Amino acid sequence: MSDDRTANPALTRRGFLGGIARGLLGVGVAGVGVAAAGRVRAKDDLWQIDPFKCIQCGNCRTACVLEDSAVKCVHDFAMCGYCDLCTGFFHPEPNRLETGAENQLCPAGAIIRRFVEEPYFEYHIDELLCTGCGICVKGCTDYGNGSLYLQVRQDRCLNCNQCAIAAQCPSDAFMRVPADRPYVVKHLGRQKEGG
Amino acid sequence: MSSRRRVVLVAMALLAAAVCAADAWAIERFPPPDFYSGHQLPELDQRPLRLPPWMDRVHVAALATGLALSTWFSLRLRSRTAIRWLAVASLVYFGFYLGGCVCPIGSIQNVTLALADADYTLPVSVVFIFALPVVFALLFGRVFCSGVCPLGAIQDLVLIRPLRVPLWLQSVLGLVPFVYLGAAILMAATDSFFIVCRWDPFVGFFRLDGNLPVMILGGVLLIVSTFVGRPYCRFLCPYGALLGLCSRVAWKHVTITPDECVNCRLCEDACPFGAIRPATTEEDA
Repeated sequence: MSDDRTANPALTRRGFLGGIARGLLGVGVAGVGVAAAGRVRAKDDLWQIDPFKCIQCGNCRTACVLEDSAVKCVHDFAMCGYCDLCTGFFHPEPNRLETGAENQLCPAGAIIRRFVEEPYFEYHIDELLCTGCGICVKGCTDYGNGSLYLQVRQDRCLNCNQCAIAAQCPSDAFMRVPADRPYVVKHLGRQKEGG
Repeated sequence: MSSRRRVVLVAMALLAAAVCAADAWAIERFPPPDFYSGHQLPELDQRPLRLPPWMDRVHVAALATGLALSTWFSLRLRSRTAIRWLAVASLVYFGFYLGGCVCPIGSIQNVTLALADADYTLPVSVVFIFALPVVFALLFGRVFCSGVCPLGAIQDLVLIRPLRVPLWLQSVLGLVPFVYLGAAILMAATDSFFIVCRWDPFVGFFRLDGNLPVMILGGVLLIVSTFVGRPYCRFLCPYGALLGLCSRVAWKHVTITPDECVNCRLCEDACPFGAIRPATTEEDA
């Protein structure tokens, strides 16, 4: 296969053009890399809900790729008024202040009401029952202190690259948070979004 | 009735005032009580992460190891069996254990978004997940696709009897990945949608949970995979398109050794992916 027209017999047209193309692609990839390098952070992302943007539309219950949504209601006790007539627990106008199912907002019966002392009651979320529908959150946010709010549970979340709920969220409440700050603690105020 | 309406009106006025005064969230309509019984507030229930935060480094290391092994198996050992076992391991780890995300295919969109959107910053691990297979493809061809990608592996494992796709059809369908790649980049750059991830056909199988239309697409592709080799890789995968471009100019590449080839052309029929084209003679060229 010797070719006396070229000084270097190992250099063929194919090899030469291949080398150029390889070089160009390499430069291109490196260019993208350098451009992206300015926009890099050390920690991985996780999805989380900004409770201050959430409008409790109910998509969190249905849109998650998991059958049992990764979004659950959490209770920030430090914000709670411990009301007897809790607007997150009872229907707006309950027949009586009794814990019968007909008086409760939660369709899954996932809120546990415990008497603390007159006239205060403490409300706990049974996470196994909670579907993340946000009905109680709406009641608490609209008429109460807003101590109930929806959060992505990071032990359940599969951390899809494109969160299926985020794609459907009407209020743009889903955000990517760094892995070392996986939750929004509502009583500590507004968390800075993203990095 | 009218008195109740008045109460509601007053309540709404108060609420509006409160909203204006206190940035909506800081409302304490009912101040937290001082318990005389000394009741302690329960801790806020915060669950730990599903995977520990240092796992991203493990994933990058696993990806690099997989690529190195795939290169060694295909270029040095030239062993299809070894590649297949590597693919099974990748399927178990990247597919069923990790549950799919973030994968190099989807990472195209993260990189695009990072370049297009000033608010989005890219995790370092995603940079490696995107770039490692590209670098390997520039050096050694598509070793990612052959042995490391769990999506390729699951299709390879169900392939029973590959049919030959006519060359013209293969060429036409082979354009789809580039259209898909363009659409994915456009959608990611406008931060509207990560289409590749939402329509990842096999991630539902990896997680044994997922939404119905995507699971159906995955099911159909798996059925087609039994008689057409790797339909997703060849006719849809946008990352495969990107790696294919790199692979064309790869530094070292799996080759048919010209000195040993007797031109029996059996390999053209044997390749389940239609990757070996009829040799062009000097007259054709």
